[in-house]
Amino acid sequence: MTTMPTTFLKSLNWKKVLLWTGVIFLVLFCLAPLLWQVLTSLKTNDAIAKLPTVYFPNSQQLTLDHYLILGGKFLRYMLNSAFVSFTSTLICLAVGAPAAYTLARLKIPGEQIILACVLVVSLFPYVLLFLGLLELVKFFGLGNNYLSLIIPYTAINLPLTILVLRSFFQQLPKDLEDSARIDGYNTLQMLLQIVLPMTIPALVTTGILAFIFAWNEFIFALTFITRDTLQTIPIAISKIGGASAFEIPYGPIAAATILGTLPLVILVLIFQQRIVQGITAGAVKG
Amino acid sequence: MNVLLNLWRQRSRLTRILVLAIATVTILLTCILPALTQQRVKITVMMQALEAAQWQPIVAKFEAENSDIDLEIIEAPNATNLVEDLYTSAFLLGDSPYDLVYLDIVWVPKFAAAGWLKNLNEFVSQDDLDNFLEGDINGGKYQEELYRMPFRSDVGMLYYRSDLLAENAYNPPETFTELIDISQDLQEKGIAKWGYVWQGKQYEGLAAMFVEILKGFGAYWVNPETLEVGLDSDKAIASVEFLHNLIKTGISPPGVTTYEEEETRRLFEGGETVFLRNWPYVAGLTSQSDLAGKFALKPMVHQPEYESGTCQGGWGLGMSATTKHPEEAWRVIEFISSEEIQREFVLETGYLPSRRSLFNDPAIVAKYSYYPQFLEVVEKSALRPPIAQYAQASDILQRYLSSALTNTMSAEKAMKAAAAETRRLLER
Amino acid sequence: METDTIRRREKQTGWLLIAPALLILAFVFLYPIGRAFWLSLFTQNLGTQLEPVFSGFNNYARMFGDGRFWYSLWNTSVFTTISISLELVFGMTFALVLNQAFWGRGFARTAALIPWALPTAVMGLAWAWIFNDQYGVVNDLLFRLGIINEAITWLGEPTRAMFSLVVADVWKTTPFIALILLAGLQSISSDLYEAHAIDGATPIQSFRQITLPLLAPQILIALLFRFAQSFGVFDLIQVMTGGGPAGSTEMVSIYIYATVRRYLDFGYGAALVTVTFLLLIIAVAIAAFFLSKSRINISGER
Repeated sequence: MTTMPTTFLKSLNWKKVLLWTGVIFLVLFCLAPLLWQVLTSLKTNDAIAKLPTVYFPNSQQLTLDHYLILGGKFLRYMLNSAFVSFTSTLICLAVGAPAAYTLARLKIPGEQIILACVLVVSLFPYVLLFLGLLELVKFFGLGNNYLSLIIPYTAINLPLTILVLRSFFQQLPKDLEDSARIDGYNTLQMLLQIVLPMTIPALVTTGILAFIFAWNEFIFALTFITRDTLQTIPIAISKIGGASAFEIPYGPIAAATILGTLPLVILVLIFQQRIVQGITAGAVKG
Repeated sequence: MNVLLNLWRQRSRLTRILVLAIATVTILLTCILPALTQQRVKITVMMQALEAAQWQPIVAKFEAENSDIDLEIIEAPNATNLVEDLYTSAFLLGDSPYDLVYLDIVWVPKFAAAGWLKNLNEFVSQDDLDNFLEGDINGGKYQEELYRMPFRSDVGMLYYRSDLLAENAYNPPETFTELIDISQDLQEKGIAKWGYVWQGKQYEGLAAMFVEILKGFGAYWVNPETLEVGLDSDKAIASVEFLHNLIKTGISPPGVTTYEEEETRRLFEGGETVFLRNWPYVAGLTSQSDLAGKFALKPMVHQPEYESGTCQGGWGLGMSATTKHPEEAWRVIEFISSEEIQREFVLETGYLPSRRSLFNDPAIVAKYSYYPQFLEVVEKSALRPPIAQYAQASDILQRYLSSALTNTMSAEKAMKAAAAETRRLLER
Repeated sequence: METDTIRRREKQTGWLLIAPALLILAFVFLYPIGRAFWLSLFTQNLGTQLEPVFSGFNNYARMFGDGRFWYSLWNTSVFTTISISLELVFGMTFALVLNQAFWGRGFARTAALIPWALPTAVMGLAWAWIFNDQYGVVNDLLFRLGIINEAITWLGEPTRAMFSLVVADVWKTTPFIALILLAGLQSISSDLYEAHAIDGATPIQSFRQITLPLLAPQILIALLFRFAQSFGVFDLIQVMTGGGPAGSTEMVSIYIYATVRRYLDFGYGAALVTVTFLLLIIAVAIAAFFLSKSRINISGER
């Protein structure tokens, strides 16, 4: 940007065009397959499998049946998912943030080794954890208990949480903490009252990612919980049946997916504003 | 300690949320802990949710007649492989929570070899078994011992458009060549877009379909007694070339290499193809479509000098080796496989019974006129190799067969590699 | 003396703060990983009646002749490399766009997260249907646009099947990278850009000289986790192709999962896990080594 008004205008327009191209591409890219799911969930079974492809159903092809057959039981699965995801996310942040702060600021012996371990552990393909975990679950008698999901989900999300938060803590200017220390804050007070409020974008980001992972996890939820009343949404979706053992009931599955994802969308809508509440310009100057 | 105290004193929002969360967890966990005391003997079995719903009337009836047994059905996802995985993990942990195991026919050897199933010989006599379809009984055996009582049978077959064949003065095809000739003629006349549609995706259904072609060509996959592998015989290679040629000559759409059962059924019902290879469920569904009365079914085509082959599938009950209530569990099996229950179940759902007499049962034939035809198909049934390492053998075959069908390898090269790998597997 | 006690207390607090996290990590990861290493020295399969029998490095020797394993490793590497490169480009673009102020930004931010929020197994089904040769939307659109006149079997040919999987995966996981980068962008002070602009720098210059270096820690973290997730990809493949056609989309985790859970070959499966795990660690270690040689500051300290 230069000071000359004409070129400034030009570059502004050019930037605007670029920005809106980006926005439109982003929205299309992300929402088109979702739109397809929404349309599928509203089409009759005949319309779903019709050739040529039906994009927008007409009045005879439109139905709410796929939603209605889900029934009140689905609410129960949603509550299960919500409880498991919420708890594990909370624990993950509560445990991960202090650990990240230690790794970022406090000098403890073996820091590099701990960091390396956290890194290495995150490389283990999580699907392959399940056999060992199954034995643990059995050993501690945690089968059909929410803890058998909450603990593994927390652990799987911890490396990401720790590393992301640590990178943000490190980017905070040190002066702030130094002056707080002079004001008599101890480490914990500093973490809770100064550092965390300033890294809300990072907390929200990792929180959202952890929550979504827990909400959608399938293999553990399938294996560790066999009692119907305790199961989570992905399992409920996988139990939706069609007219035959071979049929994939696209309509009801789409409906269950839309309904099951709605809470996440609302959650993100609420929390996305928080992503911007980070360090505002000028608030912290060295 | 100091730190914790400080934390508490501060009463920051974070702390409060944390305390709240811990309290919630504790309360919920204590609520969940089951304290179910039962006087009745509980017998548990797991199956796909779809079928569990279909079993509900049977369960109600059983419990009404057997007040000392509580039959509980656990719903699993509607995917066969996931049910297998769930049973597997339950057994790996030792004492399985399931007293009964609802078994797909191809799991029997593996589950039996792993020692997870109880031998059923002591419960049932040969005379009783003679009432069931031979293929179903054989499929429930591993090394001559019976581990599974068949409940519902399943078998692969050839569906054809009887209206189109009659209009063009064709008899239903008996041999591979006839199937090709009729297809090409009707395609050239513009009567049908495709000639023959089948399942060619790399998955278990591919192996099931291929077993039929193999038998029709007089070849075999694995001999369960000698463990000899026949995949690289000339006849086996010819059977792969037959399938490959169907795609090359446009009799089958190129997409068959991605199709499972449902895609092929849809094409058939949409009138896009003359012939279809599929399972019995298609007969029920297609009778309710626009194609009702315009199609018929028969055993799979074959080479003139060999017998037709139809792939044996089906489900039945086995008993967990660790069950504490074998007597009660057997009573469930006996009840489920009785003629009366099978009749009811077939009338309700349209599945195939495993008892031979039911195919000509007046009540069933009155509802499904095509059932007597199924008997002819069922009697030609061929088993997938009943070996403990079947899952792996099947994966090997699927990969190489898929390679041949998708032009990644020649039929000969693919089958030679498949045979070599299977031999290595069986030697281990 | 004074500073010594402060040091000590800081150390104590540090350990207290980090201990819960380490305990949870150890509880969940230590046993499964240790178990895999230990079990890889045994033969435990249907041949041994599922009893572990010590066999030294036999399992590792067997691996050399196992073409299917190396092929799946190759498939996974191809899939991972292409996917995460595309995701980084898209994710960066999305983050930059979402970091601007424009009308409807909250909506766009939520939209950008939706692919990540939808369950993979279900969207895998949807994608398989979208790429279906007869009923699929992709072919239908291409027909309507007149680009093709014969149905393309997207999932029926090795290269195209891989392409379809990459499309589905990029769609699914770009939001993950975008979100982490967006959070990173938020913590870069806008003063820096203003000062830079006054110095006469173009937007591209400020992107290269301010954004990239300051965003380096987040970029590396996002890449690291996407690398791990992508190498362990499971649900998506299982649902869309099952590893076919011709085994061309079979990934390591699919193969190992089958070996353990369906073939009941536990010892060998454990050896496969161990080798894959070690290879991943080596790959990351090499990457870290080269990064430390270059001038990128991984730790993010200023």
